[in-house]
Order: sequence, then C-alpha cells, then structure tokens
Amino acid sequence: MALTIDCPFAVRILTTFIRDELAKFGFKKGILGLSGGLDSSVCAFLAARALGPKNVIGLIMPYGECFGSDVEDAREVARVLKIRSAVIDIAPMVDAYFERFPAANQVRRGNKMARERMSILYDHSAREKALILGTSNKTELLIGYGTIHGDTACAINPLGDLFKTQIRQLAAHLGLPERIRTKLPTAGLWKGQTDEAEIGLAYVEIDRILYQLADERESKAEVIARGFAKAHVEKIMAMIKRSEFKRQMPPIAKISARTVGHDFLYPYDWDK
Amino acid sequence: MKVVLAQAAPHLGNIGKNLELHLKTIDRARREKADLVVFPELSLTGYKLRDLVETVAADPERSKEIRELRLLSKDLAIVFGFVEERASERGLFYNSAAFCAKGRILHVHRKVFLPTFGMFEELRFFAPGRNFRAFDTPWGKMGLMICRDFLHYNASYLLYAGGAETMIVISAAPGRGLSGGGGFASSRMWELMGEAMGRFSQAFVLYCNRVGLEDGAAFAGGSFLFNPMGRRLAQAAYFEPELLICDIDLNEIRKARKNWPFKRDDKPEVTLEALQRIVHGLDD
Repeated sequence: MALTIDCPFAVRILTTFIRDELAKFGFKKGILGLSGGLDSSVCAFLAARALGPKNVIGLIMPYGECFGSDVEDAREVARVLKIRSAVIDIAPMVDAYFERFPAANQVRRGNKMARERMSILYDHSAREKALILGTSNKTELLIGYGTIHGDTACAINPLGDLFKTQIRQLAAHLGLPERIRTKLPTAGLWKGQTDEAEIGLAYVEIDRILYQLADERESKAEVIARGFAKAHVEKIMAMIKRSEFKRQMPPIAKISARTVGHDFLYPYDWDK
Repeated sequence: MKVVLAQAAPHLGNIGKNLELHLKTIDRARREKADLVVFPELSLTGYKLRDLVETVAADPERSKEIRELRLLSKDLAIVFGFVEERASERGLFYNSAAFCAKGRILHVHRKVFLPTFGMFEELRFFAPGRNFRAFDTPWGKMGLMICRDFLHYNASYLLYAGGAETMIVISAAPGRGLSGGGGFASSRMWELMGEAMGRFSQAFVLYCNRVGLEDGAAFAGGSFLFNPMGRRLAQAAYFEPELLICDIDLNEIRKARKNWPFKRDDKPEVTLEALQRIVHGLDD
C-alpha cells in the first residue's frame, strides 16, 4: 500500500530536520500550539525527541471552556513528554473583538481564533527564543483545510509532507495516548465540529485520492477509473484549486529588473 | 587500491567551512592509508545554491581552495565537486567535478545532464557540460559523472567506450518516498544502476552521495561501490554521515573482461553509425 510509510526511518528524518533546521538559525528551542489532537501531539513527540523535552514548549490555547476534554488531552501530552506547557485562554481577546462585530458567522469566528493563537505563538516565540513548529499535514495543505496566517503559520513544518493517515501511522509508532489516536479530528473552530463532517469525506478516502492526484500525478479520469466516486474526486480537485492562494506567497506586480520571489532566488538555508 | 567515499553534509554557500570539512576528511583518509578519497557533488559549495552560484564560483587555475586541495593530492587522489567559472569563459557557471592526483588536476568533468523538473532547477543556474571523457590515472583509466549524469546510461557507455575501468559518480541525490522499507524508495534506482553499470561496463562503480538537509530536502546517502562483476562491495548508511572505506582489487577488471568479453566484442562504430542515422534522421 503506497500510503504505508517506514515509520522508524520517517522519525529519523523528521527529528533530524527539526534539530538541524533550528540549529542552522541558531535556535535550541521549539514552540508549538497543542490542541490535544493528533497532528500537534505527533509534532510534540517528534520535537521532544529531536530537541529534548526541556527545549520544547507547548501552548494550550482553548477558547474558554468550549473544548474541555481537548485541554486535558493536550496537558496529558505535555505530561507524558515532560515538555514545558502553559494554558492561555483566548476567549477574552476573541470576545472583546466580536463584541464590536456581533453578527460574525462561525467561519469568521473560527478564523479569528486560529489567528489569535498564531499571534500568541509568535509573541511567545520571541519571548522564549523558540522557533514555531508547524503542524499542518499534507492533506490539509492540499485541500486548503487551514486558516491562512492562522494555524498554517510557522517557522518550519515537519509534518507538511505526510498525509493525515500517515500521521496516524506515526502516532501509533510513537506510542501516543490511545484517546488522542482514536478521537475524531477537529479543527476546533466551533463546538462539535469534526473535519470529516465538514469536508464531507473520510480522511482515508481523501488521502487515497490525493495520493493519486498529487504524488502520482494522475488525471481526474485515471483516478475515477480506479473506482473512486466521480463526485468525490471532483470535490477534492475543486478544493485543491480553490486553496492555491494558501500555498503561495502573494503575487507581486513585476515591474523591476529583478523581483523578490521570482528571479531574486536564494536558499532558505542561506549560509547556514 | 584503497578508496574512501566521504558521505558528508557540505555547508550551503560557505566555501571556507567546506574546505575545512575537506581537509579534516582528507586527513582521516590519509590515516587510513587511502589512495583515493571521493567527495559528493558540489562538495565545496553545497547544492541548492540558486542565485548564490556566482558568489561561490571558482576558477580551478586560480582558486586558492582548489589549489590547496590539488597540493594535498600528491600522495592521495581527491575527487570533489565545485562551481566552475573560468577566466576564459566569464559568466558561465558549470556544476563540475575535479580529479586531482600527484599534485595536479588530471581531469575536470562538467555535468552534462542538469535536472530541471520537479524539485530540481539546475538549468536555471548552470551551463551544461558537453562531454564524457575517460582519463588516465595512476590506477588506470577512469571516468567522472555527476549525479543525474549517471541515470543516463549513455554517459556510462561513453566512458566505457573511452576505456574507463572505474566510474566515479559524485551525487547530491535527495531521497523521495518512504514506502520502500529501509531507506528512501528513490535510493533503489541508484543502486540498480550501480549494479547494472558495474556488471555490464565491467568496471568499478564508486558512487558517493551526500547527506544532510537543505531547505527541507533530505539527501539520501547510501553511497556504494560495485565491482566489475556487479557485486556490491560496500554501502554506507542512508541519511547518516559516514566515511565508507573499501579495498578494491583492480585485477577484478581483467578477470571480468576476460571471462565475459563484452568489452572486446563491443562495436562503438556500429553505435556511432546508428546514432548518426537517428540524430540526422537518415532512417526512414
């Protein structure tokens, strides 16, 4: 099965990536948001292995009491790993804002929460001299299931080339608590939300379709010929297309002899 | 002959640090009483240079770092990778490999096949080389290839036809795909080529790949040596720095070519004529 990964080897690469990338930029510490969900927990496990638990900070940022058990799960991850953690309730900041805009819908509120968490993470990143570890997986990146400048914002992303179902494999390999491995994935944008209900497809199917489309570069017709429902394939293709802006830097009007990001091209790891 | 493949992680865009890495490694190779030490592709500069290419370019006749390596090659042959820009060809940058021995540069190979697809963008920044030429060394004729060159089997053939008995490949091949089980899926491709080219060119194949990460790309390592019967003599770990040390017996070339006379029976003139017909469209 093409989505099955060699977990011990993946862990070796990802921990080296975290350690090397931080060292290149002169950092010893990593910081990340802990939601109590699968992705951020796996990222915390990898970071603790890569950097040592003392050098990992997990910020738990619930919106009030809304997601009680998730906070407990996030605390459990911090406890198991012996990493530093803190709980910061984002309700006062978010509520203060929406008192002025009470008509805002769920999506606006959810995005605001994601960006509030981002803002707190960046502030703590400066305070702690710790780089932000991203937790967006390949499935989310491809279908655009994330808030731009919110949960997708980070300094480095160890998980971005792993599909959701591959993160599940890693979670089992790393020995994450059972509760976290088996709970339904949620972006935590509102109470009772689950990713799969919102997207309308199961991750197992999304990943298999994405693998054929993205990794194997197959056409829509080829993927449908494999037996996937036409409507599902089309839905995923539409999601990929609609979210391209989330995967790129904003276009710059190119009027000079040399434009940043276009032909002014230096490696990220420039002289590191 | 004792060979050392230096599966190292060069620093991106920093020749000073990389020279240090070379000097240390050469020192270790010398203590191992090695005859030849091979570094990976662009070992003096790092791989993903993009617009840094011009800032690290070196003229092999004038560069003080290359001079230092050349002088160190008096009693130990050294193969390394660098960005080449000659005073006679200003503004043209090549992804090159140099073979130094007896204090001289015996050969410089310019990478011919510059990958420009997927994650690779070499043609944006480098000029392509135009030749594969076998050259004389104290250990018989050898040939150099750089990374993607090796995946075009006509490159190995040209070196073989030119008399090479040892093929040296320096590489910066990232690993892709984790479904292989034990290392990257993409490593199999290189190993298959190593085995086939060793066996059917009846030559030693020395493949030195780099490790480390650049902008998230993980270089796979897994450097290897195949003998002229296509037998794997040694292989380094995937994704870990390693000094792979291996004794090779050059008599095996004779043995392989005597027992299976592919080389004796080769007909390069048939290849040449057929290629001319293909290239010039003389076939119907």
